[in-house]
Amino acid sequence: MEELRKLFHQDLAVARDQLVRLAAWVTELIPRVTEVLLEGDLEGAELIIAADAELDRRAVEAEEHCIQILALQTPVAGELRQVVALLKMIAEVERSGDLACSICKATRRMNGHPMDPKLKGLITRMSEQAQALYRAAIEAFVDNDPVKAAELDDMDAILDALQKQLLQAVAESHKAGLTDLAVAMQMAVVARFYERIGDHAVNIAERVRFIVTGWLPDHQKSARSVVDPDSVGWAT
Amino acid sequence: MFGRGEAERLRRSLESERERREAADEEVVRLRAVFTASPVGMVLTDRQGKPMLRNPAATIAGHTRILVDEALEPLLDAATAGRSAERRLELVGPPPRVLVLRAIPLIGGGALAVIDDLSDRARLDAVRTDFVANISHELKTPVGALALLAETVAEHDDPEVMRRLAAKMVEEAHRAAGTIDDLLELSRIELGGDAVSEPVDTAMVVKDAVERATLAAERRHITVVVDAAEAPVVIGDHLQLVSALVNLIDNAVKYSGEGLTVTVSARRAGRWVELAVSDHGVGIAAKDLDRIFERFYRVDRARSRETGGTGLGLAIVRHVANNHGGEVSVQSREGEGSVFTLRIPADESAKSIAEEGND
Repeated sequence: MEELRKLFHQDLAVARDQLVRLAAWVTELIPRVTEVLLEGDLEGAELIIAADAELDRRAVEAEEHCIQILALQTPVAGELRQVVALLKMIAEVERSGDLACSICKATRRMNGHPMDPKLKGLITRMSEQAQALYRAAIEAFVDNDPVKAAELDDMDAILDALQKQLLQAVAESHKAGLTDLAVAMQMAVVARFYERIGDHAVNIAERVRFIVTGWLPDHQKSARSVVDPDSVGWAT
Repeated sequence: MFGRGEAERLRRSLESERERREAADEEVVRLRAVFTASPVGMVLTDRQGKPMLRNPAATIAGHTRILVDEALEPLLDAATAGRSAERRLELVGPPPRVLVLRAIPLIGGGALAVIDDLSDRARLDAVRTDFVANISHELKTPVGALALLAETVAEHDDPEVMRRLAAKMVEEAHRAAGTIDDLLELSRIELGGDAVSEPVDTAMVVKDAVERATLAAERRHITVVVDAAEAPVVIGDHLQLVSALVNLIDNAVKYSGEGLTVTVSARRAGRWVELAVSDHGVGIAAKDLDRIFERFYRVDRARSRETGGTGLGLAIVRHVANNHGGEVSVQSREGEGSVFTLRIPADESAKSIAEEGND
């Protein structure tokens, strides 16, 4: 039994390490894709898009490792929470990598169009904030720190506010004739990509809180959304 | 029971063993001290290739550490199997880093990984390469234009065309002369030979600088606001400080949209006096911020002829700051504007620095 537990903890350490590496990759990717976007670096965009296959492969490998732990070690209670949370977190990181690729694809679509410096400045700020969220999420996970994880909500609010500022600036820039309609649309989409990357970091942090405390904000949200079927006419 | 001679031999043998062990312990302590103090990052593995010791220079913060460790793994595996391995790793960070990772097998098993941080060297290489390219661009462009214009003049008889071309030639000649004047000024400030060291009223520095920049500001309908009510006194060279501030105001005016405001302020901040120029212009991209004080560095070379200037202004500002025992810094966001701050030691600090220099 003791031997089995030892094996479980070794396997769990490997799974945690796989997630940390994937998340570090995405953390490094965020400023890299921003540079590609702001410089209109098509070659860099292609390299990043091509490298996404490796990120996906490693995410699948990490998922399979978690499933193997579930199948062979049948963890329970807190240990089960860890493995299930890891499975969810791997998907969040993998999706963030996809969003980074989407920013590279937007770079392709904006090729040859000049970008208003004001929009560049706001994109840089969104990128910095999204990276700060990811870095904080990794730290919270590595340290098993639910307090640090809870801080990500406030950090995300800043990213959301920046997204609104960017959308406003895109509209103004287009109105002033500084940004083409096609570029304006791409910029609006790019703003959404950064905002979603931030959301994935928040989801990772929520799973850290789940691992440590068993609490998930989804439980609260579901409780809030329970409505009386009669009041909406759903009762049969 | 031991005989007397045998007991003595045993005692000597134990004593010698104790001395050997103490010497070995001392050696371990010293080797560990060398390992810890080494400016080169090192990671030592056990015989199976698992990292067991890492010196402070190899302790990297944040997600970069995870990426470096990941890159080291295959190299350490190779070294543990008896083969040296090497890899170059370029990371965006921040801060950006260029690292060369090497793993070498150790006699008796295990491996040593060496992390060589080439970030500063890579940056200096880029500065050197760009400097040569940029100086060629700044000096060759007006000279090339002059040659072309002169050839065209030689082929035309129409006085109107010749007048227009001559005006262009004068413009290009002024441009080349401006670059040479700035190079000479930069060289003079760099040498610091004729620098004056006397009490300077920063309110007068601001006033003189703003006066010199007024014409350019008026042309672009830019309002220059002065906030120097509590301008303190510094020890330095009035002319150099005016020259630095004029460069900062000129840049702020050049890169601001028409009708905007540029603010010039002087104030005391602790042991420093800060002369700041802020604008709401195009701003500077984060990747350029570290490099704008280099000679001839251009954020947007395509626009350099449009905006004028020689690409030496900020290099002059940096040298003026250095000559005064101070520094220049910039905060900027693209599309939002920039704040350049020239920080000079306030009167008392400047005196003590001067005294230290005389010792």
